[in-house]
Amino acid sequence: MTEPEILNDVARILADFQGREYLGTIDRETRFFADLGLASIDAVVLGEMLQDHYGRPLPFGELMGEIGRREDRDLTIGELTAFLSRSL
Amino acid sequence: MPRLKVNGLTFHIQQAGEGPDLILIHGLTGDLSIWFLCKAMTELSRSHRVTAFDLRGHGYSDVPPTGYTSRDQAEDVLGLMDAVGARQAKLVGHSFGAVIALHTAVLAPERVEALVLSDPYFPALRHLEDLSRWGHWEAFQKEAADAGVSLSSEHWYDIGKFFNQVMHLDEAKLLQFRQAVGLPGMNRLLRLGTTTAGDDSKVEAGLTLEKILAVRQPILALYGDGSPFLSTAEYLASHLASCRQVLIPNSQHRAPEENPEAFTSALISWVESLAPMEVTR
Repeated sequence: MTEPEILNDVARILADFQGREYLGTIDRETRFFADLGLASIDAVVLGEMLQDHYGRPLPFGELMGEIGRREDRDLTIGELTAFLSRSL
Repeated sequence: MPRLKVNGLTFHIQQAGEGPDLILIHGLTGDLSIWFLCKAMTELSRSHRVTAFDLRGHGYSDVPPTGYTSRDQAEDVLGLMDAVGARQAKLVGHSFGAVIALHTAVLAPERVEALVLSDPYFPALRHLEDLSRWGHWEAFQKEAADAGVSLSSEHWYDIGKFFNQVMHLDEAKLLQFRQAVGLPGMNRLLRLGTTTAGDDSKVEAGLTLEKILAVRQPILALYGDGSPFLSTAEYLASHLASCRQVLIPNSQHRAPEENPEAFTSALISWVESLAPMEVTR
C-alpha cells in the first residue's frame, strides 16, 4: 500500500471519529492532538480501529510509547501514515 | 474496541500478551492510555497477559452517577477479573488506582498475587500528609490558569468542589479552558464532574489503617522522588509486612508521565523478581 492510500484510509476513519472537533482537511501536517483536538485515549481507540480496518495487529504500543517520550506529546498524520506504511 | 459488561456497566478494556494475569489501574481523571504512553503495557505483555481498563466514569467506559469509592471500584476490578477469566492477578495501580488495587487485595486476598502502588495517597493515612503539596492539583491549577481560568485554592483538596467550579465557568472561560485541555478532555472532565467521583475519592470506604496494615502480599511502593506523598511512601515501607520502596528520579506525582523510562524499568525489574516465587507456588 502506498502512503497516499493509507492517508486516505486514516482521513476517512477520522472523519467519523467521535468527539472530533476539527472540520478542515486532514493532511500530512495535521496534528492529532493540537489540531484534531483528540486525546491519548482516542489514539488507543483509533489504533484499534486501524487494526480492525487492516485486519492485522500493528505495533501501536511502540508508537504510543514513543509519543509518551516526546516533548510535545503530539503526532502528525504524516508520521502516523509512515508508521502504518512501515508496519503493513 | 473491546468492551466488557461488569456490575451492570460497560467497561473499555485493552489486552495484550499471554501468561500470568496482570491488571493495570489508572488514577482519577486519567484513562488507560497512560499505560501505553509509559510503555508498561508493551513491556509487561512480554511476560504476562496484561489487561488495562478505563475506570467507571473515565475514558470510554460508562459513567454512572454514583459508586466511585475505592470499595465500589475494587468490586469492578474483581468483576473484570471474573469476566476475563483471571483467578488471580498482579495489580498495578497509579494514584487512586493504587488505592483501588490495595482495596481489592483487602476484599479478596486470595485473588491478588502482588501489588504495585504508584504514588497513592490513602484517605486513612491523611494525617501523614500536607496535602497542599499535592502536585497533581498544582499542575492542574497551572494548566487552568494558562487557559485563563483561575481555580480557587481554598478547596484545593476537594476534587468535588473543583469539578463544580469548572462546571460553572461562563461561556468565554469555558472556551478558553476547552482550548487548553482539548474538547474530549474537557467533556470527560465535565462528565466526571456530574458524578460523586470527587467526594467518593476522599472517603476510606472500609479501607481502614488496620486493614491496610494486614495486607500480606508482596508490595512495591513506587513513588516520585519529589512526590507530595513521600510520608505515605515511608509509612508503607516501614509498616507493611513485605513492602519494598523505590523512588523514581525527576518525578513528582506522575512518574509514569514525568519519567516513563525509569518508571517502567523499575516496574519491570520488580515484577520479574517475583517470578521465582510464582514457580514454587
